[in-house]
Amino acid sequence: MITQNMINVEHLEPSDISSQSPLWWGQVCIVAIEATMFSILMAAYFYVRLSVDVWPPPGDQFPHTLLPSIALLPLILSAFGSYWASQAAKKNDRTGMLLGMGLNIILATVFFVMRIIEWHSLNFNWQTDAQGSYVWAFLGLHSFDYVADLAFTIVLFFIVLSGRYAEKQRLGVHVDSVVWYFIVAIWIPIYVVIYWGPQIVETQ
Amino acid sequence: MNQTEPIPNSSEREAQALRDLENSWQTPRGMIGWLSCTTHQAIGMRYIVTAFIFLLAGGIEALLIRLQLALPNNTLLGPDRYNEIFTTHGTTMMFLFAVPMMEGMAVYLVPLMLGTRNVAFPRLNAFGYWIYLAGAIFLYWGVFTNTAPDAGWFSYPPLSGPAYSPGKRVDFWAQMITFTEVSAMCVASELIATIFKMRAPGMSLNRIPLYCWSMLVQSFMVIFAMPAVMIASSYLLSDRTVGTHFVNPAEGGDPLLYQHVFWLFGHPEVYIIFIPALGFVSSIVTANSRREIFGYPGMVLSIVATGFIAFGLWVHHMFATGLPQIGEAYFTAASMMIAVTSGVQIFCWIATLWTGRLRMTAALHFVFGFIAIFVLGGLTGVILASVSLDVQVHDTFFVVAHFHYVLIGGALFPLFGAFYHWFPKITGRLMNEAVGKLNFWILFIGFNLTFFPMHILGLKGMTRRIYTYGSEMGWELGNILATIGAFIIAAGGVVFLINIFLSRNRGEIAGDNPWDADSFEWAAASPPKSYNFEYLPVATSRYPLWVAASERTFVTGLRNDRREVLVTTLMDAEPHHRLVLPRSSLWPLLTALAVTIGFIGSVFNAWYITYGSILTGLAFVGWFWPRLPVETKP
Repeated sequence: MITQNMINVEHLEPSDISSQSPLWWGQVCIVAIEATMFSILMAAYFYVRLSVDVWPPPGDQFPHTLLPSIALLPLILSAFGSYWASQAAKKNDRTGMLLGMGLNIILATVFFVMRIIEWHSLNFNWQTDAQGSYVWAFLGLHSFDYVADLAFTIVLFFIVLSGRYAEKQRLGVHVDSVVWYFIVAIWIPIYVVIYWGPQIVETQ
Repeated sequence: MNQTEPIPNSSEREAQALRDLENSWQTPRGMIGWLSCTTHQAIGMRYIVTAFIFLLAGGIEALLIRLQLALPNNTLLGPDRYNEIFTTHGTTMMFLFAVPMMEGMAVYLVPLMLGTRNVAFPRLNAFGYWIYLAGAIFLYWGVFTNTAPDAGWFSYPPLSGPAYSPGKRVDFWAQMITFTEVSAMCVASELIATIFKMRAPGMSLNRIPLYCWSMLVQSFMVIFAMPAVMIASSYLLSDRTVGTHFVNPAEGGDPLLYQHVFWLFGHPEVYIIFIPALGFVSSIVTANSRREIFGYPGMVLSIVATGFIAFGLWVHHMFATGLPQIGEAYFTAASMMIAVTSGVQIFCWIATLWTGRLRMTAALHFVFGFIAIFVLGGLTGVILASVSLDVQVHDTFFVVAHFHYVLIGGALFPLFGAFYHWFPKITGRLMNEAVGKLNFWILFIGFNLTFFPMHILGLKGMTRRIYTYGSEMGWELGNILATIGAFIIAAGGVVFLINIFLSRNRGEIAGDNPWDADSFEWAAASPPKSYNFEYLPVATSRYPLWVAASERTFVTGLRNDRREVLVTTLMDAEPHHRLVLPRSSLWPLLTALAVTIGFIGSVFNAWYITYGSILTGLAFVGWFWPRLPVETKP
């Protein structure tokens, strides 16, 4: 090859753990897809609700609000665990990653147990009526995402615990937190819709 | 950053570098290698070839429809078979041909145009293809076992609900949607990450080729539109299989909501197909006018605006459902507004062509055909945007004529132009230009003969989806002309296939840049090597291959003994860090199989959602498990 203008990139880092990574953008895309899905479902919930006079339909209990409200505390705190782990991943601080992910996993499990208890107390299911279909769809889809991301966090925890990890796995810890923030954040509007919605837009 | 230094003028080191690149990017031979391939050229070709096969399948279905409608009181196909065939035709063309074809072209072209070596997520790319293939096979399994969907390509409830469509036909349709949407979302995510973060150094936002801009906008539209159709098809599937009441009015559900959610996807879908075609047109026009595109900022803003406005139009598919007038007025205005952004682009292309030094290639013929047909389709679109006119011609052949004008004219003609334009890049040989022009004229005449009479049939009151009609209706002439036209289109398709097969083996050798075009894909070899570029190029202009050879700049310092690419910043494309892309892997295929077990099983037994999820979770763990020894060397 003849002499030409060259830009040498040898000095650049061979990996990067930040929002500059393409993987971070990939996770943002997943979050956008899921956020769109839940937003459309919430709009659809109100569309259906506004087309009838009595809501919830006769026979369906009003969802309890006490336990779901208390459960928000461990859920929101679990995001801090996730944040801790993602910052530790940037600094390659193994203890920080383990503590952060450990906190995340424990608090996330506490929340999920509380959700199961509350879910179990509903006196309607997805076959009862349209409100039942929507409440179960919200709970089911959110739980699906929740359990999937929790399972990956647990897998990452054990990979880091084993000590056999490199930049790619640290990047995994970092971007895992992006999805976890979303799963925590999207629950808050869903919680308002399915637990408070029927009380607020109650019919006379 | 921009240092000028001589390349080590040692041919030995140069040869070693090439051998290293060849080794680290090659796909292993044999069946396992083929199944584990993750290079974008191979995956892109698989998308293109598979989608083309489904274009032929959809075309055969169209010919069957036209044969049935050729004569009044025809009994070639019974009503039930006719319902299956027109539903499968629409479904195939939208979900198995148009979107995957556009995604496949982008998977092939975008990394080359951006001056990089692969998409950002090569394994996700392979996974997306396998999922698409599984969904396509699933639908056609139904077609060949008398389980083809029969409720129209948008399957409105209550017709498609459990009460009026017993059996599994609609379930196959609904689950096929899930497959193809997952695949489209995979491609959209990887294209966004690739276009944002893996552009050639110097390719700032105002230098991105218009085709890549259009794929960026299209990918965002996929991300915001596809969740809607997954919700719609899941409403249908869960109402039919597990007894939910999303669209069941007896228990508080709402069938009209299905239409809203479906068209919230369905209208952007039209632009998801059409916007990549605008990118093809811009590339072909620039190369064959031999001048810079007129009004680049206006073009980019129009594409972006089209992407936004497309989400505000869906209700114009539902004018006949009795919506509030204020809503209808809004959607009429929005529907007319989109004509502005399309018009800006048409005028920019005309200005470019007018002032350029034209080379009348076959590809440019298709562009001219596109402009003529698309403008006509756009005009009937403006007619349909008006509520009073729309209600008159709703569900008639006027609508059929309109959307074939915009979809075939707006997407298929540019696509054929793109085939002629990029065929030399993909195969290394030129297609025959004379046969290409003949091909264009056959398609153009056949197309207009098929679809123009449908406008008149629609105005005469011929409704969509009827399987036959009486001779007293006065529809014979239009129908027989349309059927003759359909066979002329088929003849054009045969000419195209013959041209492909002859040119592939005997075409003139193309060289790297037969059209003297401006963008980076023409700097790669024809066909491109698995690593695309020996040295990644630097964009010193919006038309990087049109700068003087002495000003061309390249990247050095990437390692050749592993799949290394360069990540640049979002706005200005400054080099930021190096990234090692994964090698070949079987995990995408295994994960796709796990997902397929869950999706197909759940049509028959809802527990398969659980089994499929567990299998998929395990497959993902395998996918992400660290390969030992963990490489930490810089």
